[in-house]
Amino acid sequence: MPQIGSFVLLLALALSGYSFLFGAVALFRRDSLSAVITETARRAGIASFVAVLIASAILVTAAFQNNFSIAYIYHHSNIDLPIPYKFATLWSGQEGSLLFWSLLLSGYGFVLRLRHKTDERLFAHASVIIAAVQVFFLLLLTFAARPFATTPGELPLDGAGLNPLLQYPEMVIHPPMLYLGYVGFTVPFAFALGALIMKYPGDKWIHITRRWTMVTWGLLSCGIALGAHWAYYVLGWGGYWGWDPVEVASLLPWLTGTAFLHSVMMQEKRGMLKTWNVWLIFVTFGLCIFGTFLTRSGVVNSVHAFAQSSIGTWFVIFLAIIAATCIFFYVYNRSHLRTEHHLESLVSRESSFLFNNVLFLLICFVALWGTLFPVLSEWIQGHKITVGPPFFNSVTVPFALLLLLLTAVGPLLAWRKTSLGSLKRNFLWPTVGAIAVGILLIATPPSWGSVFGMRPWTDVAYFYSLIAAMLAALVIFTVAAEFLRGGRVISGHTGRGLVSSMMLLGHRNTRRYGGYVVHIGMALIFIGVLGTPLNRTAEKEMGFGDKIDIGPYSLVSRSFTQDETPNYSSSIAILDVYRGGKLITTLYPESRFFTATQQPQHVPSVYSPLREDLYVVFEGQNQDTGRPIIKAHLNPLVSWLWIGVLVMLFGTVLALFPNAPVPVRAVAAAPVTAGFHAPTAPVGAD
Amino acid sequence: MILLVCGLLTVAALFYVFYIPTTLQLGPEQTRAAFLRERKDAVYENLRDLNFEYKAGKVPDADYATMKQSLEDEAAAILAEIEQLESQGAAYQKG
Amino acid sequence: MSRLNRFRIVGSLLLGVLLLMGASDNSSRIDRLGHQMMCMCSCSQILMECNHVGCTYSDTMRNELNAGVDAGKSDSEVLAMFVEKYGTTVLAAPTHSGFDRVAWLLPYIALIVGLGGVAFVVRAWHKRRVPATVAATSGLSTADLSRLREQARKETDL
Repeated sequence: MPQIGSFVLLLALALSGYSFLFGAVALFRRDSLSAVITETARRAGIASFVAVLIASAILVTAAFQNNFSIAYIYHHSNIDLPIPYKFATLWSGQEGSLLFWSLLLSGYGFVLRLRHKTDERLFAHASVIIAAVQVFFLLLLTFAARPFATTPGELPLDGAGLNPLLQYPEMVIHPPMLYLGYVGFTVPFAFALGALIMKYPGDKWIHITRRWTMVTWGLLSCGIALGAHWAYYVLGWGGYWGWDPVEVASLLPWLTGTAFLHSVMMQEKRGMLKTWNVWLIFVTFGLCIFGTFLTRSGVVNSVHAFAQSSIGTWFVIFLAIIAATCIFFYVYNRSHLRTEHHLESLVSRESSFLFNNVLFLLICFVALWGTLFPVLSEWIQGHKITVGPPFFNSVTVPFALLLLLLTAVGPLLAWRKTSLGSLKRNFLWPTVGAIAVGILLIATPPSWGSVFGMRPWTDVAYFYSLIAAMLAALVIFTVAAEFLRGGRVISGHTGRGLVSSMMLLGHRNTRRYGGYVVHIGMALIFIGVLGTPLNRTAEKEMGFGDKIDIGPYSLVSRSFTQDETPNYSSSIAILDVYRGGKLITTLYPESRFFTATQQPQHVPSVYSPLREDLYVVFEGQNQDTGRPIIKAHLNPLVSWLWIGVLVMLFGTVLALFPNAPVPVRAVAAAPVTAGFHAPTAPVGAD
Repeated sequence: MILLVCGLLTVAALFYVFYIPTTLQLGPEQTRAAFLRERKDAVYENLRDLNFEYKAGKVPDADYATMKQSLEDEAAAILAEIEQLESQGAAYQKG
Repeated sequence: MSRLNRFRIVGSLLLGVLLLMGASDNSSRIDRLGHQMMCMCSCSQILMECNHVGCTYSDTMRNELNAGVDAGKSDSEVLAMFVEKYGTTVLAAPTHSGFDRVAWLLPYIALIVGLGGVAFVVRAWHKRRVPATVAATSGLSTADLSRLREQARKETDL
């Protein structure tokens, strides 16, 4: 089996190589053969997908058959591993995850090559670029990180097992989501570069890739969120985001991708920012590759356990080739990216998009800067330093708050030009609302809950929290006002009720209003995060009947039990949770010991009402008394983070729906005006 | 056995890639007319947005008039060129 | 004069806060300092948040931290003690001296340059004139222009 796997990968490499080289040759030929070669290149691309699919299937099958003659299976699986996690072996190690990258990429390529009729020439260009990326990954799989390498020496009886941190349901879906997002940006990249190479007139590549980019973005968001969720519910340190290099690596393309989603609108609507957009998607794709490199090269320290190996060099070379290609075609064809309009006004949707973009890029830069600063410090000062969460939190928060402010203001600005008067009018009530929220948070008694009775003057972190709360409220109010205003216009026009008008409004421009829903989701995420400075912890060794008090809750130890499964043995504490003397719930924090890897793992138990999470961890046992040590975290508002993510995904799905057609009025019904040049007020305008 | 499987896979791939029974032609290049229609859609979208934003009270009357005028001019220029191309195309087909 | 006064007020407030912090028990200080350091077991976690079962470092380090604070050392003395023992990577963030300062300053410089750059670009693009990609309306007769404009208007009415 391993031999067939290796061979199939070699075959895939040959097919991709053909698809790339001959596809590229065909693009420059103008004769009758060109169409034939293009078709064979397309088919070679499709065949390479099938080959990579077979290779992945062989690897997964080997995991199920416990075929430990394959070194990869030996290192990442064991006989007693539960079935879903056997699937996860495909992406839990270096070689397998590169194979998975390759599988997803060729899968995207497969879909794209099936749909080539949309615009054969543009798709042929994109197909060649995707094949080029595919060649790189298949080269890696054939020469540097071979998933089908055999185990040296005697055949082992059982595998070394999967890292226990990865044995959690999210881990079965988090990496695929993240990879789908990472890899997905290859498609808009390929179209952007292709359109630039062929000097494609117009913005059709944007129209073709619009949904693609949104789906990719949604998957990447989902992947990041699942990663945070996994960190929160598995790592057991009470937080969900630690600014680890690998987390940062996933955030970087998300930031530039989000900037891209906004700035393409400038190109579609106004023919502006063409150069910027092309470079933004180039950079996003580059960051996806860079992120993959950062994770595996060992350049920076990370908790994410990938074997550090020599494949870093391969990535550096590939990144250099990408950069050289992009720069070459940009310089060669830059006249094609000439802008078509100027800015009519300093205060407009356009200028807000420019600020939005620069803020996204700045946050991206700061995150990258912090991640790479240790390397820089080692070069210049000769000693490594740590750039950890305290740095990132204090530096990125002001940037993020500025962005949140812009999220609130942006939708109020009209395209081209907005009068300050209308801005003031539309901004008034949301601002009053936001200030009211701020006053409420300060003036309320702390007994209402963790975030009430805020004292922003005692600590800059509290101040940021207060500002974040007010801005999040501002975003929600302005978006709500925007829906109301639009609903009223439609209602005045069609005579429908306000609610159904707002639904119709959303349906007529799904992208805009779906986008606004994403903004609300983002505001909710900020609400989920802003409680962080108010987190509290308490730790205690718990005998029977012992009690921990944290915030309004009391945790009382009721019992202590143990459990065995073939995969792990676990110790569980049973704690009753009281609030105001009343029993609310029972929590079961657990500590597992995995047999195959001989590694321990905490499984926290969490009670999550909307106002705060009570997060309890089985920290360990006192060696002398045998009593469990329990650590309790009180994390305000965390539930809102997950709700915000769901709202964001819902908004993304909304934005993917096609627009409802706007009925075109019958010609007879149109008003006849005397002078055509005179500005005419449309019907129903007040 | 392994050799047989590998051989079969290779033959199948080569057959799929190179056996093309029908004659092929690449699709047409993006025409000026198609480009203009795309532009027309964009300008129309802008006009609809402008009307909408005006009615939603974001654009004052004076700005609305000038912006509408410039967008309609842009639309008219595109429509004129489309008409011209279409009449040429019709003439070409007749001749 | 008024500015001086303000400084005095802020200064005395700060002093008050510091005194208050001093008056409160050592645990909040330990917690704060523990959040400024990393656990050195290569888990890349903040010292106070490291929760590996059987982590050989975090307990020792926390005990050292407790001892240091109980011995009446100042914050910077405690941190210096840890740097001496574990190396510079024990601090969770760059310091505010020497080359480390660049780490803190550059993001804000980038912010100013970035926002300033956009403001400049917005102004420049506001002023520039752009050649039209589609033929201008000048070649059209008035009647044609009016007809086409009317067509556009009808087709885009809400």
